[in-house]
Amino acid sequence: MAPHSPATDQIDTLVWIGFIAAAIVVVAINVALFYAIRRYRGERGASPRQISGGRRVQFRVAGALTLFALVVFVLGIVFTDKARETPTTGSAGLVAEKGETLEIEATGQQWLWRYAYPNDAFSYYQLVIPVDTLVKLKLVSTDVVHTWNVPDLAGKHDAVPGKTNWVLLRADKEGSFTGDAASLSGQAYAAMRTEVKVVSPDEYEEFIETQKTDIEAAQERVVGLIENGEVP
Amino acid sequence: MSESPRPELVVDGFPKRRARWIELATSGDHKDVGRILVTGALGFLFIALVEWILIRLQLAIPENKFLTPVAFNRMLSLYGGTALFFFALPLVLGLAYYVAPLQIGARGTALPRIGQTGMALWVGAAVVLYSGFMWTPTEAGVNPLSPLTETAFLSNNGVDAWATSVGLATLGFVLIAVDLLTTLRNMRAPGMAWRRVPIFAWGATVSSWLMLFIGPVFLAALTMLMIDRNYDGIFFADGSGGAPLLWQHLSWIFYSGSYMLVLIFAFGAIAEIVAVFSGKPLFNRKAVMVSLAAIAVLGTLAWMQNMYTAPIGVGWMYFAMLMSLALIVPVGVIIFNLIATMIGGVLHMRAPLLWAAGAISLISIGLAGEIQQSLVASAWDLKNTTDATASTHFALIGGAVFGGFAALHYWYPKMTARTMGETLGRASFWTTLVGVLVTFVPLALAGYNEGQVIDAYKYFNGTGVDGYNLIASIGSLILVAGIVMNLVNAIQSRVNGPEAGHDPWGGDTLEWLTLSPPDPHNFDVLPDVRSERPMRDIREAIAHRTASPELPVRESEPVA
Repeated sequence: MAPHSPATDQIDTLVWIGFIAAAIVVVAINVALFYAIRRYRGERGASPRQISGGRRVQFRVAGALTLFALVVFVLGIVFTDKARETPTTGSAGLVAEKGETLEIEATGQQWLWRYAYPNDAFSYYQLVIPVDTLVKLKLVSTDVVHTWNVPDLAGKHDAVPGKTNWVLLRADKEGSFTGDAASLSGQAYAAMRTEVKVVSPDEYEEFIETQKTDIEAAQERVVGLIENGEVP
Repeated sequence: MSESPRPELVVDGFPKRRARWIELATSGDHKDVGRILVTGALGFLFIALVEWILIRLQLAIPENKFLTPVAFNRMLSLYGGTALFFFALPLVLGLAYYVAPLQIGARGTALPRIGQTGMALWVGAAVVLYSGFMWTPTEAGVNPLSPLTETAFLSNNGVDAWATSVGLATLGFVLIAVDLLTTLRNMRAPGMAWRRVPIFAWGATVSSWLMLFIGPVFLAALTMLMIDRNYDGIFFADGSGGAPLLWQHLSWIFYSGSYMLVLIFAFGAIAEIVAVFSGKPLFNRKAVMVSLAAIAVLGTLAWMQNMYTAPIGVGWMYFAMLMSLALIVPVGVIIFNLIATMIGGVLHMRAPLLWAAGAISLISIGLAGEIQQSLVASAWDLKNTTDATASTHFALIGGAVFGGFAALHYWYPKMTARTMGETLGRASFWTTLVGVLVTFVPLALAGYNEGQVIDAYKYFNGTGVDGYNLIASIGSLILVAGIVMNLVNAIQSRVNGPEAGHDPWGGDTLEWLTLSPPDPHNFDVLPDVRSERPMRDIREAIAHRTASPELPVRESEPVA
């Protein structure tokens, strides 16, 4: 993953902290195990001293482990809280009127993502957002549980039917970011991908306007066809 | 005293009335029930491996068309169900059911027909799942998340068959746990206070308590699911007052608890083996006992660790993170004490100790991976990637396959009077170990570096995961070869294994006082238990007596 959002920066840091903690655990246990086996390997018949334990060493070990777990826990909370902070729209971002944040609704449905923009335009598969702008992505689902997952821009979050989940993100770079849905949702689950296209604010405005006019034109055409009796 | 000695119950040569398989199928003897469970579980291990290989063949190259999406989802669901409900849990409970009553000096179990019914339900469950395989298996996944399981999305009866099958199996496990628990509480040999109970039998006690809590939770969830599907229920259907997240809560309580149950069993068996093969007592038994109980409580309370991506309050996520990370303490204490037991000992490197050491190593890798999965924001990146698959498999293959094989090598002589082949056991160990690493390290990296998602029937060209997946598929073949070698070992050692006698390892606990295989009533006489190592006491007493023939012959009767 290459973080391109304030939240993913924090997530990336915490992943590294977790990796270091895990590496310490793996190395410590396996080195000790390997050493014990190499060093004390012997043949049957010898009778070792029957030491059955010590209270003090046990308390020390448990204390050290508790300290380790606590440090990891506190770091986990600190960086998770940072990752949950609402990012602010930067200077290059979309200046919204009346201080409203840009809210886009992402609907998970078998097996496609539908994105609805504030001006009633919508798009499938591809989400277009302005760069350096706070985007509140409202996750909903019309059928089963889907997990929205674009690792470079945000963490994974579920779209659960009947519930609303939020993803806050601010892309700091223009470009195209892809991701796969991450909860088994039926047959075509593997093909349920999405692309987030980060563009300049002007391009974004232009995109949703074009999208809106195109959709309206298409709808008018369909209505016309129905009225003319060409389509049942 | 002399005119009326207690009459001995003589069962030697008691005539068999019916064919052997009928005797076995109708027997309430815990050893027969345990043998059926263990044998069946090892058979299902083979079936689960076949399913895993099919999954890995499909994922060996990008955009493969070896399996259709539906066939892949069916294989995946069957693999998950088989590996947990028909391999790991019955192996664990079957071994405990066979060994724990022997370890505590019981002449049977307290409620033999309850335990036998549990086994029968489990066999019925297997029949339901695999007769479902003939017509239409479930395609809803390993833990099928509502509302995908509602009839609106999967209308064929695959999910019903799955729910019936795992429900019967779970009910069976609960019954076996009830019997085990009653036995362990009431039928311990004279003098065997809880502090002297063998560590494996203690693990069985903790596991049984755990199953008693999590089993009914899952049964309730399955019942709701069946009502939803067949009687227009709305428990998990949104829009009419139902809550899809309810299923996640209830099922994850069970799945997290089962995960812990397998680990508790494995640690119990490993502790027994490490102590015996080091020639030392277990380092700080009491700390290990407390830690095993703590794992059961903390690990199950961490169920929401699986729900970080769901719309639940962040406070709950922190609670789950605290519980998961708190597991570091009891697991760390146990592993420290296991290694401390080895230190200063004289390690007798036979197959049981080899598998046990492998189990410690793999469990440490798996649970270290779970640390990353437990940190909330870190899990937002790694959850539902193949990194999570790898962590779970490291821990559960370490616990159920390596821990299970260690226990099997260790108690096989008790069950059959023969040891399993040592050469094949070692060859199998190294092959399996290499296989596990070659399979799951690449999968962990694919999830870690490229975020490859789980459960998908294909991945696309140019996503950078081709190499990882190809290596993992090759590793799976090595892994399967290793496990199959040991299964073959177990089968052919029944007839060809070296004869073992009644106490081949010089064990510390009472099962080694019985014959191999034990008589139906297990014990003719029982010692008065004076320490946590009664067999060692007996051997020392015998050695003492042999060394000093001038001692008077003891007049008193043996206790019990």
